[in-house]
Amino acid sequence: MSTSSFVIHLLNAISFAMLLFLVSVGLNLIFGVLGVINFAHGALYMVGAYAAFQVAGAWDVPFGVALVVAPLAVAVIGTVIEVLFLRRIYARDIAVQLLMTFAFVLILDDLVRLIWGTGIKATPRPELLSGAVSIFGREYPIYGLFIIVLGPLVAAALWYFIERTSFGQRVRAASTDRHMASALGVNVPVLFSAVFALGSLLAGLGGTLAAPLRSATPSMGENIIILTFIVVVVGGLGSFPGALTGALMLGLLNEFAPLLVPRSEMAVAYALMAIVLLIRPRGLFPSPALTT
Amino acid sequence: MPQRIVDRRGFLKDVGVAGAALAMGPLLTACEPEGGGGGGAGGDGPIRIGGMWLLSGALSAYGEFAREGANMAVEELNDDGGVLGREVEMLFEHEGDAESVLQVTRRLALEENVDFLMGLDSSGTAQALVPAIPELGKVLMVTHAASNEITGELCNRYVFRCSVNVPQNCYLGAQLAAEEYPDLQTWGTIGPDYAFGYETWEFFSRYLQERNLEVSVIDPIYPPFPNEDFSSHINQALDARPDGLFVSLWGADLVNFVRQAQDFGLFDQITPIFQLGAAMEVLEGLGNEMPTGYWAGTRYWWDGIDSETNQRFVDAFRERYDHPPSYNAQCAYTGVMLLAAAAEEAGTTEADPVIDALEGIEFDAPQGPTVIRAEDHQALVEPTWGKLADSPDEDFMILDPVVHAPADEATPPVGETNCEME
Amino acid sequence: MKARERTAARPVDTRPVRLEGRRQKWTARARTLAWLLLVAALAVAPFVAGSYRTLLLTEILIFGLFASSFNLLFGYTGLLSFGHAAYFAGGAYASALIMVEAELPLPAGILAGLVGGALLAALFGVFCVRVNEIYFSLLTLAFGMLVYTVVFQAREVTGGSDGFNLYELGSVSVAGRELLLGHPQVFYFVTLVTVVLGVALLERVGSSPFGQVLRAIRENSERVDFLGIPVRRYRYKAFVIAGAMAGLAGGLIAPFLRVAHPQMSHWTTSAEVVLGTILGGEALFLGPAVGTGVLIWLESLVTGRTVYWPLVMGVILLVLVLFLPGGILGTLTRTYRRVRGSGR
Repeated sequence: MSTSSFVIHLLNAISFAMLLFLVSVGLNLIFGVLGVINFAHGALYMVGAYAAFQVAGAWDVPFGVALVVAPLAVAVIGTVIEVLFLRRIYARDIAVQLLMTFAFVLILDDLVRLIWGTGIKATPRPELLSGAVSIFGREYPIYGLFIIVLGPLVAAALWYFIERTSFGQRVRAASTDRHMASALGVNVPVLFSAVFALGSLLAGLGGTLAAPLRSATPSMGENIIILTFIVVVVGGLGSFPGALTGALMLGLLNEFAPLLVPRSEMAVAYALMAIVLLIRPRGLFPSPALTT
Repeated sequence: MPQRIVDRRGFLKDVGVAGAALAMGPLLTACEPEGGGGGGAGGDGPIRIGGMWLLSGALSAYGEFAREGANMAVEELNDDGGVLGREVEMLFEHEGDAESVLQVTRRLALEENVDFLMGLDSSGTAQALVPAIPELGKVLMVTHAASNEITGELCNRYVFRCSVNVPQNCYLGAQLAAEEYPDLQTWGTIGPDYAFGYETWEFFSRYLQERNLEVSVIDPIYPPFPNEDFSSHINQALDARPDGLFVSLWGADLVNFVRQAQDFGLFDQITPIFQLGAAMEVLEGLGNEMPTGYWAGTRYWWDGIDSETNQRFVDAFRERYDHPPSYNAQCAYTGVMLLAAAAEEAGTTEADPVIDALEGIEFDAPQGPTVIRAEDHQALVEPTWGKLADSPDEDFMILDPVVHAPADEATPPVGETNCEME
Repeated sequence: MKARERTAARPVDTRPVRLEGRRQKWTARARTLAWLLLVAALAVAPFVAGSYRTLLLTEILIFGLFASSFNLLFGYTGLLSFGHAAYFAGGAYASALIMVEAELPLPAGILAGLVGGALLAALFGVFCVRVNEIYFSLLTLAFGMLVYTVVFQAREVTGGSDGFNLYELGSVSVAGRELLLGHPQVFYFVTLVTVVLGVALLERVGSSPFGQVLRAIRENSERVDFLGIPVRRYRYKAFVIAGAMAGLAGGLIAPFLRVAHPQMSHWTTSAEVVLGTILGGEALFLGPAVGTGVLIWLESLVTGRTVYWPLVMGVILLVLVLFLPGGILGTLTRTYRRVRGSGR
């Protein structure tokens, strides 16, 4: 493999990893604080992609607006799900929680179909970010670089939010011991809603960013949710650095494994997930509570 | 929750309830006459056609077009007094995949008691189903699935296809590649990782090498199907750098591939030809992002057939649905019309006379004159390709010019299809 | 069936154990009678129902066995597997291979399904029983999807996404008459016999002392461990038996649908039995089979009328989770008990 080819493949891997990271870290946030594994996280990612299409495609508003509006819309939907439904079953078995979020996968997939129909929805690329730059004589899309830059920025913002704000302090307190936090005057139900909204926002952001790359279809969430599961299991449930590491590992595997053995990428990914679960069940960055 | 699995004292009623629910559930409706609301085969009630397409999931845009085409055909027939004096009724089901298609078909054939079966978008699904059709005793008209095997190796008396198949499509594609791009010496492919992707590449590369002896081919690239992110595969193609690239991806995969490939400047360096690029589902999805100046194939192009039948069909379709018909809509429309014509000729909807009527039938379809070959039940129809071009009238790319190849040249002779009818 | 005393290890259940000999004998007889009635009803069904309903019932029976095998892990042992479809698919591919490649008859194919499921479970079980709770779910999910990707991609052997087709089931001679095995009624009885044997085995395992230990493990595995019972070994045995019975169901599904397909190993297929089990109620032996059967039946009713089946399914599931803890059978039983209780 030539240097240029290697660099391009590497950038591909990182760009994909950053997209995965944004979605995974949302899932991790929700698990870290609420203790719920949200099957519908992929469906929220899909809703983000459709919302981005609606704003930047159907209404023809600049993509920058969609980048704000679409994730917020998903956050609102997430809040509705949490307040009306999920909240009622925190005390129940984890299987019940999985089932309820699975119900939302089915519901959201079909609602999207009812609203936007079955057509293949391609969101136009933002003017500013279209085109490519030359890297070692090969072209690389600017939009890919944009995602590579945006990933760490969002990670830094999240870190600041969780570590340095009073809201973040309460989130951390609740993730360690929700009863203690409650006793200390933290309004835990409101906090849970806020965390679920923030997690949904991240899923929506992932979907928004994916929209100009991948066309929106009613089943696009099914693929990403499984990848996200692998990321958070490998990295460690509830861990931010784990999500980053897991996403990078999966991104690299996805790009380079098929170059060595064709069609091997997903098999290797599942094998990796299984091995990590066996050797370090709590992931590479195990954490008793939310860690950034 | 109850703490036990089996409570011995409560067991009797558990089994009772369970037995009732389990055994009686499907039987509760058993008292209804067979065929539910319809008259079924041979009766005086409506003639029922069971249509199966991809009506759910990432490729459901294709199924929706087929539904539109079939519904329009049924309405036209009924406005005209029906078939054999009976009303025609269309039932739609999601075809699912090779795992679920047989149960769907059984339900249509045995529960809904349809007179005819039609549809099928995916070749893999069709290959799983076709051999099981004779035991259901119903005619199946395939309208999209293009694998050669359906009217080849797996052919049987009950299965017909009214649409362009893989060899027909590849014949014209290879002719264009050889004549339009005589300087492109190495060719590669990027196609879906299943029967269809393999078969198209096999036919295209063979036909191309027969026409241009200088041509060599490189290892094919087969991304998983379906797939969203093609950047890795695009760069594999850029690494290998053939002169020409035969693209057999379709549906949402093709939309994603085209957009991502342009990001990497793939088409500036490797000349693509798109086997199914001129599907309306794809062109509508891509809008002005579809690159122009490249050759794209289809099974039918609405502006490509200069006939009264086609003009009337396209006008009525646009009037009704506000967009031009895709090839899948046309094929579904033609499939219904062919079944109706055969039933009229046979004077019944019974399978055997209808099969006899279908064999060798000549029909003036929107896609042009269509003959169902008696020996293998494949439609002899002219394949369509065209050059992608911008149009001031539409908000998607169109084909200009449109080219065809004679049906008898493009279709492999009966002796080469491996079809052995019993 | 003889009444057996409940042995050891039910640490959490504090209800008084009733050991009224005569009454026990009576319930044991009633229970046998109920089973016989159920089987008799199922044996008569295809003569009453049309061809399609017979086919639908065949599918329900096969998935009923699959769901019951899943429940040996979930309802009895407390292990929520999200990859149980792997063993179902293992059975399906084993039977398809045996029947197509080795050209052996249908019974050999069905048996191969059992062996295939058991072998696969014996392999993955070694690892799966080491982890607990959510990690067990995730690990079974990982192995399940590993099987999926392997059968999806080993196209040369499995046919990949096109599936591994088996078109001919052949025929069997019964009393001088040639019976086509692909005929709905004939295949129904093949299925019925197999499923009854499989379900009976699961029931015996569940009500044996071995099953009692499994339940104790579900309630409190640490305490069982403390009593000196090797928890992992019990879990492993349950895992392999569950895998074998899922494989047996898979050995039926491939000839029934004439294809072994990667989708059979996908996590969504695993989710189907999880849903069916919770729908029916995992606390009752027949709950999972009934729930899964109801799902299949509903689906067959709904899909012909709307393409929005997933939406319907999602809403049903949501209602169920919120309002029917314990599932259909569980709720029915509880309501019945309450009504009866208040009548006293």
